[in-house]
Amino acid sequence: MADPVPFRGGGFAPKAKRGIGAAVFIALIALVEWGTATGVISSLTLPRPSDVLAEFVSLYQSGRLWDHLLPSLSRLAVGAAFGVTAGVLIGFAIGLFSYARAGLVPLVAAIFPIPKIALLPLFVIWFGIDEASKYALIAFGTFTPTVVATYGAVDNVDRTLIRMGQSFGLSWFSIVRKIVLPGAMPGILSGLRISLAIAIILLVAAEMLGAQTGVGAYILEAGSLYDLERLFAGVAILSVLGVSVSFVIGRVERRLLRWRG
Amino acid sequence: MTITRRRTLALMGGTVAAGALAAPAIASGTKTVVGALRLTSHAASFVAEQRGYFTDAGMDAELRFFDAAQPMAVAIASGDVDFGITAMTGALISLADKGAVRVIGGALQEEPGVDGQKILVSDAAFQNGITEPAMLAGKKWAVTQAGSSFHYMGSKMAQGEGIELQFTPLQKVGAIIGAMKSGQVDGWAIVPHIAKALAGSGAVHMIGDVADYLPNYQVTTVFTSARNTTDEAAKTRDFMAVFAKGVADFNAALVDKTQGEQARDDMVRLIHNYVYTDRPYEAAAPSILNGAMRLNGDGALNMASLRDQLAWFQAEDLVDDAITLDTIVNTDFAPQMS
Repeated sequence: MADPVPFRGGGFAPKAKRGIGAAVFIALIALVEWGTATGVISSLTLPRPSDVLAEFVSLYQSGRLWDHLLPSLSRLAVGAAFGVTAGVLIGFAIGLFSYARAGLVPLVAAIFPIPKIALLPLFVIWFGIDEASKYALIAFGTFTPTVVATYGAVDNVDRTLIRMGQSFGLSWFSIVRKIVLPGAMPGILSGLRISLAIAIILLVAAEMLGAQTGVGAYILEAGSLYDLERLFAGVAILSVLGVSVSFVIGRVERRLLRWRG
Repeated sequence: MTITRRRTLALMGGTVAAGALAAPAIASGTKTVVGALRLTSHAASFVAEQRGYFTDAGMDAELRFFDAAQPMAVAIASGDVDFGITAMTGALISLADKGAVRVIGGALQEEPGVDGQKILVSDAAFQNGITEPAMLAGKKWAVTQAGSSFHYMGSKMAQGEGIELQFTPLQKVGAIIGAMKSGQVDGWAIVPHIAKALAGSGAVHMIGDVADYLPNYQVTTVFTSARNTTDEAAKTRDFMAVFAKGVADFNAALVDKTQGEQARDDMVRLIHNYVYTDRPYEAAAPSILNGAMRLNGDGALNMASLRDQLAWFQAEDLVDDAITLDTIVNTDFAPQMS
């Protein structure tokens, strides 16, 4: 009789490892702190992390943190809300209706690769130099990736489930609400992670023209003054913003996708 | 002899080695890279190159052009460029504080009797009755970035008039011109040739002079890397001597106008090799003449103006309060104006 075949299964299944992410951050920051303190890394190359922290603390204590953060958050919220809502609606239309698909997919493909920053001067003429042009830039930037993610997600909904719904005599609207919408939700939410990261990237671009306050304006000002401590303090705020958005979407995913078990 | 792979490799190796041996001979005369913007205010460097003053001084100099002063300052800090001319911006002060660059001389300066920088308002603001700088209270004043010379001029004007301005960053001069024309911003200050060209089209109106608020304002300075002031002091001295010759020619021909029309036209033609090269000479000449402001003789430093500028940066919390003028300026290479 042949030897029993050894068990070759397992692996390829990522497990949650606590603290590793934080450890990587801490190790990198400690390395830079050591390098700048001993002079291996010159002050022109990188700022000292402890100085960046001190800059951030002074920003917080002077209250200017909120002067910069609140306008930026409202620009993000309004711009992304418009862009994502329009993107999901158009994405669904493309996913459900053949005419919409035939007409809009090439259009979306044409506007997706346009660098939205390049259109900023145009937006200033269309929407003025104040808040509206900033909302428009962020909305436009989040719109196209949301459309693409949404119609891709609708396309990927299990056809057999739709056939089953039809066999049981569900109305078209019921199928959309009870099968297509939940089935597309995972794809839409993972698309949202990308769209909102793009919104944060565009925040800096949006605050290039005519913004006196805002995290992006703060970063641009630090760059123009070659003030590396402020620059990194501002960049760190954006990173924290990105991590928070990702965390919130993770929570929403858990709540909305409970049905997956 | 047949060509084998091994022989080919040997030949290639030999060629590379010969090239490597030959290279130091070519590079032995140290090259001096001078950063410049395509503006009339950088004319001294153009004159020095065209009239061979660098070569006369035994310098192997090359002009390298930039679109803005900011990247030029960073290129000097990184050692890619040796000498440059720019306004005393926040970036320059920060880089000097980090021990990377030093101001070694003065260049463009406001002077009574010489047409200087103008205060402009958009046509929309003008139609609404803003005809004097004081009437800009609460209005939008265009700047490229915080801590730029536009910010300084606006702030000093506001201080002089006792008004408040909303400083609106637009990153680039082109964007500011667009915003002024469409009335998105109200006020701005800019060098005379751009101001006059814009005012001539009716899109903006000149309502004042910067010199009224900032007499003897040292607009631009000559600067270099900190290493050049210590390890390469001789080269820096040579450069300043050549620069001073260029300045003297420029002032005599276009500012003091002591040498007659022929010299003036020659100078304009020389500058036209670098500035407004996309326009024919006839169209470029008025702009070049309008842009001719005083360059300090011998690259002299106006320390009083520089001190005032540093104090303003510190008062606006744009740079560290602990920075002193000594860390920014090295006075060994040019005379000081009293």
